[in-house]
Amino acid sequence: MIEIILLVSSVLFIFALKLFGRPSTAHRANTFAMLAMALAVFSAFNFDFSNYDSAFYITIIVSGLLGVLISKRVQMTQMPELVGLFNGFGGGASGAIAYVELSKSTLPLSDYFVAIFSMVIGMFTFSGSIVAVLKLRGKLNNVNTTIANIFSAFLPPLILLPAIWESEILSLEYFMLLSLIAGIIRVAVIGGADMPVVIAFLNSLSGIAAMSAGFIVNSIILIIAGALVGASGIILTLLMCAAMNRTLLDVLKGGFGSKSINNEYDKDPISTSPEDVAIQLSYAESVIIVPGYGMAVAQAQSAVKELTNTLKDKNIEVKFAIHPVAGRMPGHMNVLLAEVDIDYEDMYTLEDINSEFSSTDVVIVLGANDVVNPLARTDEDSPIYGMPILDVDLAKQVIVIKRSMSPGYAGISNPLFINDNAKMLFADAKEGLEKIIKSFELV
Amino acid sequence: MEATFLLTLLITFLASFIGYELISKIPQTLHTPLMSGSNAISGVTLIAAILIYPEVGESQVLKIIVLTAIAFATLNIVGGFSVTGRILEMFKKND
Repeated sequence: MIEIILLVSSVLFIFALKLFGRPSTAHRANTFAMLAMALAVFSAFNFDFSNYDSAFYITIIVSGLLGVLISKRVQMTQMPELVGLFNGFGGGASGAIAYVELSKSTLPLSDYFVAIFSMVIGMFTFSGSIVAVLKLRGKLNNVNTTIANIFSAFLPPLILLPAIWESEILSLEYFMLLSLIAGIIRVAVIGGADMPVVIAFLNSLSGIAAMSAGFIVNSIILIIAGALVGASGIILTLLMCAAMNRTLLDVLKGGFGSKSINNEYDKDPISTSPEDVAIQLSYAESVIIVPGYGMAVAQAQSAVKELTNTLKDKNIEVKFAIHPVAGRMPGHMNVLLAEVDIDYEDMYTLEDINSEFSSTDVVIVLGANDVVNPLARTDEDSPIYGMPILDVDLAKQVIVIKRSMSPGYAGISNPLFINDNAKMLFADAKEGLEKIIKSFELV
Repeated sequence: MEATFLLTLLITFLASFIGYELISKIPQTLHTPLMSGSNAISGVTLIAAILIYPEVGESQVLKIIVLTAIAFATLNIVGGFSVTGRILEMFKKND
Protein backbone atom coordinates (compact mmCIF):
# COMPACT_ATOMS: atom_id res chain seq x y z
CA MET A 1 0.00 0.00 0.00
CA ILE A 2 2.77 2.42 1.01
CA GLU A 3 4.61 1.55 -2.22
CA ILE A 4 1.57 2.50 -4.30
CA ILE A 5 1.17 5.82 -2.49
CA LEU A 6 4.84 6.58 -3.12
CA LEU A 7 4.54 5.63 -6.78
CA VAL A 8 1.56 7.99 -7.21
CA SER A 9 3.47 10.70 -5.37
CA SER A 10 6.54 10.39 -7.63
CA VAL A 11 4.43 10.47 -10.77
CA LEU A 12 2.57 13.56 -9.49
CA PHE A 13 5.85 15.36 -8.81
CA ILE A 14 7.03 14.77 -12.37
CA PHE A 15 3.66 15.77 -13.85
CA ALA A 16 3.79 18.93 -11.76
CA LEU A 17 7.06 19.89 -13.43
CA LYS A 18 5.57 19.19 -16.83
CA LEU A 19 2.59 21.46 -16.11
CA PHE A 20 4.94 24.17 -14.89
CA GLY A 21 6.12 24.67 -18.47
CA ARG A 22 3.39 27.19 -19.38
CA PRO A 23 2.07 30.16 -17.39
CA SER A 24 -1.52 29.13 -18.12
CA THR A 25 -1.18 25.66 -16.57
CA ALA A 26 1.38 26.44 -13.89
CA HIS A 27 -1.14 27.05 -11.10
CA ARG A 28 -2.32 23.47 -11.56
CA ALA A 29 1.29 22.31 -11.24
CA ASN A 30 1.33 23.75 -7.73
CA THR A 31 -1.77 21.75 -6.79
CA PHE A 32 -0.19 18.58 -8.18
CA ALA A 33 3.02 19.14 -6.27
CA MET A 34 1.11 19.83 -3.05
CA LEU A 35 -0.81 16.60 -3.46
CA ALA A 36 2.41 14.71 -4.17
CA MET A 37 3.99 16.20 -1.07
CA ALA A 38 0.99 15.35 1.12
CA LEU A 39 1.10 11.73 -0.04
CA ALA A 40 4.86 11.49 0.44
CA VAL A 41 4.71 12.90 3.97
CA PHE A 42 1.72 10.72 4.86
CA SER A 43 3.53 7.60 3.68
CA ALA A 44 6.44 8.30 6.02
CA PHE A 45 4.19 7.58 9.01
CA ASN A 46 3.50 4.08 7.67
CA PHE A 47 -0.05 4.21 9.11
CA ASP A 48 1.32 4.34 12.63
CA PHE A 49 0.89 7.67 14.35
CA SER A 50 1.43 6.34 17.88
CA ASN A 51 5.22 6.81 17.77
CA TYR A 52 4.92 10.57 17.85
CA ASP A 53 4.50 12.68 20.95
CA SER A 54 2.81 16.05 21.36
CA ALA A 55 6.10 17.97 20.89
CA PHE A 56 6.23 16.54 17.35
CA TYR A 57 2.69 17.55 16.39
CA ILE A 58 2.96 20.96 18.02
CA THR A 59 6.15 21.69 16.07
CA ILE A 60 4.46 20.74 12.80
CA ILE A 61 1.32 22.79 13.47
CA VAL A 62 3.13 25.89 14.73
CA SER A 63 5.68 25.98 11.91
CA GLY A 64 2.95 25.23 9.37
CA LEU A 65 0.90 28.19 10.59
CA LEU A 66 4.01 30.36 10.59
CA GLY A 67 4.63 29.30 6.98
CA VAL A 68 1.13 30.38 5.95
CA LEU A 69 1.52 33.67 7.77
CA ILE A 70 4.87 34.48 6.14
CA SER A 71 3.65 33.56 2.67
CA LYS A 72 0.57 35.79 2.96
CA ARG A 73 2.47 38.75 4.31
CA VAL A 74 5.55 38.79 2.11
CA GLN A 75 5.68 41.44 -0.60
CA MET A 76 6.63 40.47 -4.12
CA THR A 77 9.68 42.74 -3.99
CA GLN A 78 10.88 40.61 -1.05
CA MET A 79 10.71 37.31 -2.94
CA PRO A 80 14.52 37.01 -3.26
CA GLU A 81 14.87 37.22 0.53
CA LEU A 82 12.09 34.69 1.07
CA VAL A 83 13.51 32.19 -1.43
CA GLY A 84 16.94 32.72 0.13
CA LEU A 85 15.53 32.04 3.60
CA PHE A 86 13.72 28.89 2.43
CA ASN A 87 16.92 27.66 0.75
CA GLY A 88 18.58 27.98 4.13
CA PHE A 89 15.77 26.17 5.97
CA GLY A 90 15.79 23.30 3.46
CA GLY A 91 19.55 22.90 3.67
CA GLY A 92 19.56 23.31 7.44
CA ALA A 93 16.87 20.65 7.92
CA SER A 94 18.74 18.10 5.78
CA GLY A 95 22.04 18.95 7.44
CA ALA A 96 20.54 18.56 10.92
CA ILE A 97 19.06 15.18 10.01
CA ALA A 98 22.41 14.01 8.68
CA TYR A 99 24.06 15.14 11.92
CA VAL A 100 21.57 13.18 14.05
CA GLU A 101 22.09 10.05 11.95
CA LEU A 102 25.86 10.42 12.21
CA SER A 103 25.64 10.80 15.99
CA LYS A 104 24.02 7.38 16.28
CA SER A 105 27.27 5.77 15.08
CA THR A 106 25.50 2.66 13.81
CA LEU A 107 25.65 3.73 10.19
CA PRO A 108 27.22 1.43 7.60
CA LEU A 109 30.36 2.89 6.01
CA SER A 110 28.73 3.84 2.67
CA ASP A 111 25.93 5.70 4.46
CA TYR A 112 28.51 7.34 6.70
CA PHE A 113 30.13 9.17 3.81
CA VAL A 114 26.78 10.14 2.26
CA ALA A 115 25.71 11.50 5.65
CA ILE A 116 28.92 13.54 6.02
CA PHE A 117 28.28 14.89 2.51
CA SER A 118 24.66 15.75 3.36
CA MET A 119 25.67 17.45 6.58
CA VAL A 120 28.42 19.53 4.96
CA ILE A 121 26.22 20.62 2.01
CA GLY A 122 23.21 21.24 4.27
CA MET A 123 25.11 23.38 6.77
CA PHE A 124 26.94 25.29 4.02
CA THR A 125 23.56 26.02 2.40
CA PHE A 126 22.10 27.10 5.74
CA SER A 127 24.76 29.63 6.75
CA GLY A 128 25.35 30.78 3.15
CA SER A 129 21.64 31.46 2.68
CA ILE A 130 21.37 33.44 5.90
CA VAL A 131 24.26 35.65 4.72
CA ALA A 132 22.58 35.97 1.30
CA VAL A 133 19.36 37.13 2.97
CA LEU A 134 21.25 39.68 5.06
CA LYS A 135 22.95 40.97 1.91
CA LEU A 136 19.63 41.22 0.07
CA ARG A 137 18.23 43.23 2.95
CA GLY A 138 21.22 45.55 2.74
CA LYS A 139 22.36 44.62 6.24
CA LEU A 140 25.76 43.39 5.13
CA ASN A 141 28.33 44.96 2.87
CA ASN A 142 30.81 43.14 0.69
CA VAL A 143 33.61 41.47 2.57
CA ASN A 144 37.13 41.70 1.21
CA THR A 145 38.04 38.63 -0.84
CA THR A 146 41.39 38.14 0.89
CA ILE A 147 39.65 36.68 3.95
CA ALA A 148 37.98 34.10 1.72
CA ASN A 149 41.25 33.38 -0.07
CA ILE A 150 43.09 32.80 3.21
CA PHE A 151 40.29 30.52 4.41
CA SER A 152 40.32 28.54 1.14
CA ALA A 153 44.09 28.14 1.32
CA PHE A 154 43.90 26.75 4.85
CA LEU A 155 40.89 24.55 4.14
CA PRO A 156 42.74 21.34 3.13
CA PRO A 157 44.87 21.21 6.31
CA LEU A 158 41.79 22.16 8.37
CA ILE A 159 39.87 19.23 6.88
CA LEU A 160 42.71 16.79 7.55
CA LEU A 161 43.19 17.98 11.12
CA PRO A 162 40.66 15.58 12.76
CA ALA A 163 42.61 12.62 11.35
CA ILE A 164 45.25 13.48 13.94
CA TRP A 165 42.66 13.49 16.69
CA GLU A 166 41.21 10.26 18.06
CA SER A 167 37.78 11.42 19.18
CA GLU A 168 35.17 10.82 16.47
CA ILE A 169 32.27 12.79 17.92
CA LEU A 170 34.37 15.88 18.26
CA SER A 171 35.36 15.76 14.60
CA LEU A 172 31.68 15.61 13.64
CA GLU A 173 30.94 18.94 15.27
CA TYR A 174 34.20 20.24 13.91
CA PHE A 175 33.12 19.46 10.34
CA MET A 176 29.74 21.02 10.97
CA LEU A 177 31.37 24.22 12.20
CA LEU A 178 33.76 24.24 9.26
CA SER A 179 30.85 23.94 6.79
CA LEU A 180 28.96 26.74 8.51
CA ILE A 181 31.99 29.05 8.38
CA ALA A 182 32.66 28.11 4.75
CA GLY A 183 29.07 29.06 3.86
CA ILE A 184 29.31 32.42 5.58
CA ILE A 185 32.66 33.36 4.06
CA ARG A 186 31.87 32.16 0.56
CA VAL A 187 28.66 34.16 0.22
CA ALA A 188 29.96 37.18 2.14
CA VAL A 189 32.46 38.02 -0.61
CA ILE A 190 29.89 37.93 -3.43
CA GLY A 191 28.25 41.19 -4.45
CA GLY A 192 24.54 41.99 -4.51
CA ALA A 193 24.00 41.87 -8.27
CA ASP A 194 25.46 38.34 -8.38
CA MET A 195 22.70 37.21 -6.04
CA PRO A 196 20.61 35.62 -8.83
CA VAL A 197 23.42 33.11 -9.31
CA VAL A 198 24.00 32.63 -5.58
CA ILE A 199 20.31 32.12 -4.81
CA ALA A 200 19.91 29.62 -7.66
CA PHE A 201 23.07 27.79 -6.62
CA LEU A 202 22.00 27.52 -2.96
CA ASN A 203 18.58 26.39 -4.20
CA SER A 204 20.29 23.55 -6.01
CA LEU A 205 22.40 22.67 -2.96
CA SER A 206 19.29 22.46 -0.75
CA GLY A 207 17.94 19.85 -3.18
CA ILE A 208 21.21 17.94 -3.22
CA ALA A 209 21.28 17.93 0.60
CA ALA A 210 17.71 16.54 0.65
CA MET A 211 18.61 13.94 -1.97
CA SER A 212 21.57 12.69 0.03
CA ALA A 213 19.43 12.62 3.18
CA GLY A 214 17.20 10.29 1.17
CA PHE A 215 20.13 7.92 0.74
CA ILE A 216 20.74 7.83 4.50
CA VAL A 217 17.14 7.01 5.48
CA ASN A 218 16.58 4.89 2.38
CA SER A 219 13.65 6.88 1.00
CA ILE A 220 13.25 6.78 -2.77
CA ILE A 221 10.71 9.62 -2.85
CA LEU A 222 13.09 11.85 -0.94
CA ILE A 223 15.83 11.05 -3.45
CA ILE A 224 13.55 11.76 -6.43
CA ALA A 225 12.17 15.04 -5.07
CA GLY A 226 15.63 16.16 -3.93
CA ALA A 227 17.09 15.37 -7.36
CA LEU A 228 14.36 17.41 -9.06
CA VAL A 229 15.15 20.43 -6.90
CA GLY A 230 18.88 19.93 -7.45
CA ALA A 231 18.37 19.81 -11.22
CA SER A 232 16.15 22.89 -11.21
CA GLY A 233 18.69 24.90 -9.25
CA ILE A 234 21.58 23.84 -11.48
CA ILE A 235 19.68 24.83 -14.64
CA LEU A 236 18.89 28.27 -13.25
CA THR A 237 22.48 28.70 -12.03
CA LEU A 238 23.89 27.95 -15.47
CA LEU A 239 21.31 30.19 -17.20
CA MET A 240 22.22 33.09 -14.92
CA CYS A 241 25.96 32.56 -15.45
CA ALA A 242 25.47 32.41 -19.23
CA ALA A 243 23.49 35.66 -19.06
CA MET A 244 26.53 37.35 -17.54
CA ASN A 245 29.10 35.53 -19.68
CA ARG A 246 30.83 34.33 -16.53
CA THR A 247 31.53 30.93 -15.05
CA LEU A 248 30.05 29.75 -11.76
CA LEU A 249 33.56 29.59 -10.29
CA ASP A 250 34.20 33.20 -11.26
CA VAL A 251 30.98 34.31 -9.54
CA LEU A 252 31.70 32.29 -6.40
CA LYS A 253 35.21 33.73 -6.25
CA GLY A 254 33.54 37.03 -5.42
CA GLY A 255 34.86 40.56 -5.49
CA PHE A 256 33.36 41.37 -8.90
CA GLY A 257 33.20 45.07 -9.75
CA SER A 258 35.06 46.14 -6.63
CA LYS A 259 38.29 47.00 -8.45
CA SER A 260 37.63 48.82 -11.69
CA ILE A 261 35.73 51.87 -10.56
CA ASN A 262 35.77 54.09 -13.63
CA ASN A 263 32.97 56.55 -13.84
CA GLU A 264 34.37 59.20 -16.14
CA TYR A 265 32.45 60.67 -19.04
CA ASP A 266 33.84 62.72 -21.97
CA LYS A 267 30.79 64.94 -22.06
CA ASP A 268 27.72 65.76 -20.06
CA PRO A 269 24.56 63.73 -20.60
CA ILE A 270 21.46 65.39 -21.99
CA SER A 271 19.06 65.73 -19.15
CA THR A 272 15.31 65.86 -19.74
CA SER A 273 12.13 66.68 -17.84
CA PRO A 274 8.98 64.61 -17.20
CA GLU A 275 7.01 66.97 -19.46
CA ASP A 276 9.41 66.45 -22.37
CA VAL A 277 9.32 62.68 -21.85
CA ALA A 278 5.52 62.75 -21.96
CA ILE A 279 5.58 64.70 -25.22
CA GLN A 280 8.19 62.38 -26.67
CA LEU A 281 6.14 59.33 -25.69
CA SER A 282 2.89 60.70 -27.10
CA TYR A 283 4.50 60.93 -30.54
CA ALA A 284 5.81 57.35 -30.38
CA GLU A 285 4.18 54.34 -31.96
CA SER A 286 6.20 51.70 -30.15
CA VAL A 287 7.71 51.76 -26.67
CA ILE A 288 9.87 49.17 -24.90
CA ILE A 289 10.35 49.38 -21.14
CA VAL A 290 13.50 47.80 -19.66
CA PRO A 291 13.04 47.24 -15.91
CA GLY A 292 15.95 46.63 -13.55
CA TYR A 293 16.63 46.32 -9.86
CA GLY A 294 15.92 50.06 -9.45
CA MET A 295 12.26 49.36 -10.21
CA ALA A 296 12.09 46.85 -7.36
CA VAL A 297 13.90 49.16 -4.92
CA ALA A 298 11.57 52.05 -5.71
CA GLN A 299 8.48 49.77 -5.69
CA ALA A 300 7.63 51.37 -9.02
CA GLN A 301 5.64 48.51 -10.55
CA SER A 302 2.22 50.15 -10.06
CA ALA A 303 3.48 53.32 -11.73
CA VAL A 304 4.76 51.15 -14.60
CA LYS A 305 1.31 49.67 -14.99
CA GLU A 306 -0.31 53.09 -14.97
CA LEU A 307 2.06 54.41 -17.63
CA THR A 308 1.45 51.27 -19.70
CA ASN A 309 -2.30 51.85 -19.55
CA THR A 310 -1.89 55.50 -20.51
CA LEU A 311 0.25 54.58 -23.51
CA LYS A 312 -2.00 51.74 -24.62
CA ASP A 313 -5.01 54.06 -24.46
CA LYS A 314 -3.21 56.18 -27.04
CA ASN A 315 -2.72 53.08 -29.21
CA ILE A 316 0.99 52.98 -28.50
CA GLU A 317 2.48 49.51 -28.47
CA VAL A 318 4.20 48.71 -25.14
CA LYS A 319 6.55 45.79 -24.59
CA PHE A 320 8.82 44.80 -21.73
CA ALA A 321 12.37 43.60 -22.26
CA ILE A 322 13.64 41.56 -19.33
CA HIS A 323 17.28 40.59 -19.00
CA PRO A 324 17.77 37.20 -17.27
CA VAL A 325 19.81 38.72 -14.43
CA ALA A 326 17.70 41.86 -13.95
CA GLY A 327 16.83 42.10 -10.27
CA ARG A 328 18.06 39.88 -7.50
CA MET A 329 16.74 36.46 -8.51
CA PRO A 330 15.71 34.62 -11.68
CA GLY A 331 12.34 35.91 -12.92
CA HIS A 332 12.23 38.72 -10.32
CA MET A 333 11.05 41.42 -12.78
CA ASN A 334 8.42 39.16 -14.32
CA VAL A 335 6.78 38.54 -10.95
CA LEU A 336 6.72 42.23 -10.08
CA LEU A 337 5.09 43.05 -13.42
CA ALA A 338 2.62 40.17 -13.12
CA GLU A 339 1.70 41.49 -9.68
CA VAL A 340 0.31 44.67 -11.26
CA ASP A 341 -1.57 42.72 -13.93
CA ILE A 342 0.80 43.22 -16.83
CA ASP A 343 0.19 40.46 -19.34
CA TYR A 344 3.06 37.96 -19.45
CA GLU A 345 2.65 37.92 -23.24
CA ASP A 346 4.05 41.46 -23.21
CA MET A 347 7.21 40.38 -21.34
CA TYR A 348 10.01 39.45 -23.70
CA THR A 349 13.30 37.68 -23.18
CA LEU A 350 16.59 39.04 -24.46
CA GLU A 351 16.70 36.68 -27.45
CA ASP A 352 13.13 37.48 -28.45
CA ILE A 353 13.35 41.26 -28.35
CA ASN A 354 16.91 42.26 -29.20
CA SER A 355 16.22 42.48 -32.93
CA GLU A 356 13.30 44.85 -32.31
CA PHE A 357 15.14 47.72 -30.64
CA SER A 358 16.34 49.29 -33.90
CA SER A 359 12.74 49.71 -35.06
CA THR A 360 11.44 50.98 -31.72
CA ASP A 361 10.64 54.67 -31.24
CA VAL A 362 11.30 55.06 -27.52
CA VAL A 363 12.99 52.79 -25.00
CA ILE A 364 12.58 53.55 -21.29
CA VAL A 365 15.38 52.17 -19.14
CA LEU A 366 14.01 51.96 -15.62
CA GLY A 367 16.62 51.31 -12.95
CA ALA A 368 18.77 49.06 -15.13
CA ASN A 369 22.42 49.76 -15.91
CA ASP A 370 24.96 47.03 -16.68
CA VAL A 371 22.47 44.93 -18.67
CA VAL A 372 22.11 47.81 -21.20
CA ASN A 373 25.78 48.85 -21.28
CA PRO A 374 27.04 48.78 -24.89
CA LEU A 375 30.62 48.33 -23.66
CA ALA A 376 29.74 44.65 -23.35
CA ARG A 377 29.76 44.56 -27.15
CA THR A 378 32.65 46.93 -27.89
CA ASP A 379 35.24 47.15 -25.11
CA GLU A 380 37.37 44.03 -24.82
CA ASP A 381 38.98 45.28 -21.61
CA SER A 382 35.66 45.82 -19.88
CA PRO A 383 34.77 43.39 -17.06
CA ILE A 384 31.40 42.84 -18.72
CA TYR A 385 32.78 42.25 -22.22
CA GLY A 386 30.90 39.44 -23.98
CA MET A 387 27.91 39.59 -21.66
CA PRO A 388 24.67 39.40 -23.64
CA ILE A 389 22.99 42.80 -23.23
CA LEU A 390 19.74 44.40 -24.33
CA ASP A 391 20.73 46.53 -27.35
CA VAL A 392 18.70 49.56 -26.31
CA ASP A 393 21.31 51.97 -27.75
CA LEU A 394 20.10 50.94 -31.22
CA ALA A 395 16.62 52.35 -30.61
CA LYS A 396 15.57 55.69 -32.10
CA GLN A 397 15.34 57.35 -28.69
CA VAL A 398 16.29 56.18 -25.22
CA ILE A 399 15.12 57.62 -21.91
CA VAL A 400 17.06 56.52 -18.85
CA ILE A 401 15.26 57.03 -15.55
CA LYS A 402 17.95 56.95 -12.91
CA ARG A 403 18.76 58.93 -9.81
CA SER A 404 22.33 59.83 -10.73
CA MET A 405 25.19 58.97 -13.07
CA SER A 406 26.54 56.45 -10.56
CA PRO A 407 27.91 53.25 -12.06
CA GLY A 408 26.14 49.90 -11.86
CA TYR A 409 27.39 46.76 -10.19
CA ALA A 410 30.32 46.30 -12.58
CA GLY A 411 31.68 49.69 -11.44
CA ILE A 412 32.13 51.05 -14.96
CA SER A 413 30.72 53.98 -16.85
CA ASN A 414 27.87 53.41 -19.25
CA PRO A 415 28.34 55.24 -22.61
CA LEU A 416 24.65 54.73 -23.28
CA PHE A 417 23.95 57.67 -20.95
CA ILE A 418 25.87 60.10 -23.20
CA ASN A 419 24.72 58.59 -26.49
CA ASP A 420 23.25 61.11 -28.94
CA ASN A 421 19.87 59.37 -28.88
CA ALA A 422 19.71 59.12 -25.08
CA LYS A 423 18.31 61.46 -22.46
CA MET A 424 18.54 61.18 -18.71
CA LEU A 425 15.59 61.76 -16.41
CA PHE A 426 17.24 62.10 -13.02
CA ALA A 427 14.66 60.72 -10.61
CA ASP A 428 13.70 57.80 -8.46
CA ALA A 429 11.99 55.20 -10.68
CA LYS A 430 8.59 55.61 -9.05
CA GLU A 431 8.59 59.40 -8.75
CA GLY A 432 9.91 59.79 -12.27
CA LEU A 433 7.14 57.66 -13.75
CA GLU A 434 4.45 59.34 -11.70
CA LYS A 435 5.58 62.77 -12.90
CA ILE A 436 5.53 61.56 -16.51
CA ILE A 437 2.00 60.23 -16.06
CA LYS A 438 0.91 63.52 -14.55
CA SER A 439 2.45 65.44 -17.45
CA PHE A 440 0.39 63.35 -19.86
CA GLU A 441 -2.76 64.93 -18.51
CA LEU A 442 -1.39 68.31 -19.61
CA VAL A 443 -0.19 67.22 -23.05
CA MET B 1 10.53 0.80 -0.75
CA GLU B 2 13.63 -1.29 -0.32
CA ALA B 3 16.11 -1.18 -3.13
CA THR B 4 19.68 -2.05 -3.76
CA PHE B 5 22.21 0.74 -3.88
CA LEU B 6 22.70 0.44 -7.64
CA LEU B 7 19.00 0.59 -8.33
CA THR B 8 18.78 3.65 -6.11
CA LEU B 9 21.57 5.30 -8.07
CA LEU B 10 19.74 4.50 -11.31
CA ILE B 11 16.58 6.14 -9.95
CA THR B 12 18.61 9.17 -8.88
CA PHE B 13 20.04 9.50 -12.35
CA LEU B 14 16.66 9.11 -14.05
CA ALA B 15 14.99 11.62 -11.73
CA SER B 16 17.76 14.16 -12.35
CA PHE B 17 17.52 13.60 -16.09
CA ILE B 18 13.72 13.98 -16.24
CA GLY B 19 13.99 17.02 -13.98
CA TYR B 20 16.62 18.58 -16.20
CA GLU B 21 14.62 17.98 -19.39
CA LEU B 22 11.32 19.29 -18.01
CA ILE B 23 12.73 22.27 -16.14
CA SER B 24 14.77 23.41 -19.16
CA LYS B 25 11.45 24.06 -20.91
CA ILE B 26 10.10 26.37 -18.21
CA PRO B 27 10.01 29.98 -19.50
CA GLN B 28 11.97 32.79 -17.86
CA THR B 29 8.71 34.42 -16.75
CA LEU B 30 8.12 31.56 -14.31
CA HIS B 31 11.60 31.29 -12.84
CA THR B 32 10.70 32.92 -9.52
CA PRO B 33 7.70 30.66 -8.82
CA LEU B 34 9.87 27.74 -9.97
CA MET B 35 12.35 28.59 -7.25
CA SER B 36 9.76 29.09 -4.52
CA GLY B 37 8.08 25.85 -5.65
CA SER B 38 11.36 23.97 -5.45
CA ASN B 39 11.86 25.52 -2.00
CA ALA B 40 8.64 23.78 -1.01
CA ILE B 41 9.75 20.50 -2.57
CA SER B 42 13.11 20.63 -0.81
CA GLY B 43 11.06 20.51 2.40
CA VAL B 44 10.47 16.86 1.44
CA THR B 45 13.34 16.19 3.84
CA LEU B 46 10.54 16.27 6.43
CA ILE B 47 10.11 12.60 5.51
CA ALA B 48 13.59 11.82 6.80
CA ALA B 49 12.82 13.70 10.02
CA ILE B 50 9.57 11.74 10.48
CA LEU B 51 11.39 8.47 9.88
CA ILE B 52 14.17 9.11 12.40
CA TYR B 53 12.13 10.91 15.07
CA PRO B 54 10.91 7.76 16.89
CA GLU B 55 14.46 6.34 16.89
CA VAL B 56 16.21 9.32 18.48
CA GLY B 57 16.09 7.71 21.91
CA GLU B 58 16.71 9.43 25.21
CA SER B 59 19.00 12.23 24.08
CA GLN B 60 17.18 15.53 24.48
CA VAL B 61 19.76 17.37 22.39
CA LEU B 62 19.24 15.11 19.38
CA LYS B 63 15.48 15.35 19.85
CA ILE B 64 15.62 19.13 19.73
CA ILE B 65 17.79 19.01 16.63
CA VAL B 66 15.28 16.76 14.85
CA LEU B 67 12.41 19.00 15.98
CA THR B 68 14.30 21.97 14.53
CA ALA B 69 14.66 20.09 11.25
CA ILE B 70 10.92 19.35 11.35
CA ALA B 71 10.13 23.03 11.93
CA PHE B 72 12.39 24.14 9.05
CA ALA B 73 11.05 21.54 6.63
CA THR B 74 7.40 22.22 7.50
CA LEU B 75 7.93 25.96 7.10
CA ASN B 76 9.42 25.29 3.67
CA ILE B 77 6.62 23.01 2.53
CA VAL B 78 3.69 25.11 3.75
CA GLY B 79 5.23 28.54 3.13
CA GLY B 80 6.75 27.50 -0.20
CA PHE B 81 3.57 26.08 -1.71
CA SER B 82 1.46 28.90 -0.34
CA VAL B 83 3.61 31.69 -1.79
CA THR B 84 4.03 29.82 -5.08
CA GLY B 85 0.27 29.53 -5.31
CA ARG B 86 -0.01 33.26 -4.71
CA ILE B 87 2.44 34.06 -7.51
CA LEU B 88 0.95 31.62 -10.03
CA GLU B 89 -2.49 33.06 -9.36
CA MET B 90 -1.15 36.39 -10.67
CA PHE B 91 -0.07 34.74 -13.90
CA LYS B 92 -3.31 32.80 -14.29
CA LYS B 93 -5.72 35.72 -14.50
CA ASN B 94 -3.78 37.22 -17.38
CA ASP B 95 -4.38 34.21 -19.54
